[in-house]
Amino acid sequence: MATNVSAVYIQVVDDVISKIRDEFINFGAGESALAELQAMWEMKMMQAGAISGNIERPAPQKNVAPTPVHDLNVPYEGPIEEYETPTADMLFPPTPIQTPLPGTDSGMYNIPTGPSDYAPSPIADIRNSLDLKTGRPSPYMQPPSPWMNQRPLGVDVNVAYVDGRQETDRGSSQQAMTQNVVNQLHKGSPKHGQGSGTSKVIPDRGRPALLPQSDGVQDDYDDLFPFQGVATEDYNTPGDHVELRTPTPAVATPKPNKDEAEDDEPSLNEDDDDDDELDDDQDDDEPNTQHLVLALFDKVTRTKSRWKCTLKDGIMHLNNRDILFNKANGEFEF
Amino acid sequence: MSTFELYRRSRIGMCLTETLDEMVTNERLSPDLAIQVLMQFDRSMTDALENQVKSKVSIKGHLHTYRFCDNVWTFILKDATFKSEELNEPVKRVKIVACDSKLLSQ
Repeated sequence: MATNVSAVYIQVVDDVISKIRDEFINFGAGESALAELQAMWEMKMMQAGAISGNIERPAPQKNVAPTPVHDLNVPYEGPIEEYETPTADMLFPPTPIQTPLPGTDSGMYNIPTGPSDYAPSPIADIRNSLDLKTGRPSPYMQPPSPWMNQRPLGVDVNVAYVDGRQETDRGSSQQAMTQNVVNQLHKGSPKHGQGSGTSKVIPDRGRPALLPQSDGVQDDYDDLFPFQGVATEDYNTPGDHVELRTPTPAVATPKPNKDEAEDDEPSLNEDDDDDDELDDDQDDDEPNTQHLVLALFDKVTRTKSRWKCTLKDGIMHLNNRDILFNKANGEFEF
Repeated sequence: MSTFELYRRSRIGMCLTETLDEMVTNERLSPDLAIQVLMQFDRSMTDALENQVKSKVSIKGHLHTYRFCDNVWTFILKDATFKSEELNEPVKRVKIVACDSKLLSQ
């Protein structure tokens, strides 16, 4: 192949930059923003290994006074240090915080909609997330709001549950007892509020009657360890559904780790259908990259269990390398 | 004009998306402009793949999962091999995402 991948990428970058130069000027963003975009983009690509360090451009046609081309072999210093360019890590908090609920329609998992909406609603998400000008993660990350909005609900449940566990007595019918106690507590201690989900303090210990308890963990358990809040009882522990969030990064679905805190809650078995086997393999062999091919298909056919497809214009990411192709033939056995 | 946003998931696309996100957050760019940039990237990337790349690859493997939804095929292959003149890569697991080439608007 005459052109290597780096060169093609550089040409794409140049092409994009030159074609949006007019837009930048019309929008008033200016040449400096354009240059910054180009420099940052190239720097990220170098860091990601997508392009090699020495970039050779064909004679650049610069009509304007040549903006200083940054020496891309040194870290990007930024324009005058007016502001700290936040690192991706600073802006986009690490993964565990931003996993959506299983119920939310992430549409991320595989390919949700037609070509124009292909990448999971990026345009809508860009508008939403960028409009708000918060440090929202890139469109490929599910906005944290659906998950975070549901938090109070999770905590609500836990408040009632906590009350039940606080009982030091053993009772025969613990269900009814618990219910009564909860009601009494709600009446008795005003600071409980409307079962507000944000209450994480240990409720009043001035409960009217001690109820016998015949199940669950030994009640001294709570006294042995100071009660730290209900975080572990959140059914939607972060990180459980990372796989739903982004298809490309190689992240395994962590096994549920909330068992120790919940003794008499039936397990929801919500992860039963996850591709545990696939993820295990992934963890062992490919810690950082998932192999991915993005392409167009001309034809996909099947005869019994033999599948054949013709693809074209694709980018492959295999073994941490990027490979481009014009045509591809696939033969798969199902 | 609609574009295939497929290529935004590649490394080059993700780098661009991250760059644009940072710049919009820092208010160096408006969100509209960022969208324009991404759309131009879609077009430029498609053009480059069509015109500048000339290699042919063959893929063989065991098909673990197939899905066709909204005109997009998704295959997950296990123990696949990618071959071309300069390439011979075995991979344990690969995902192939392919959009319908006939839908490419002109």
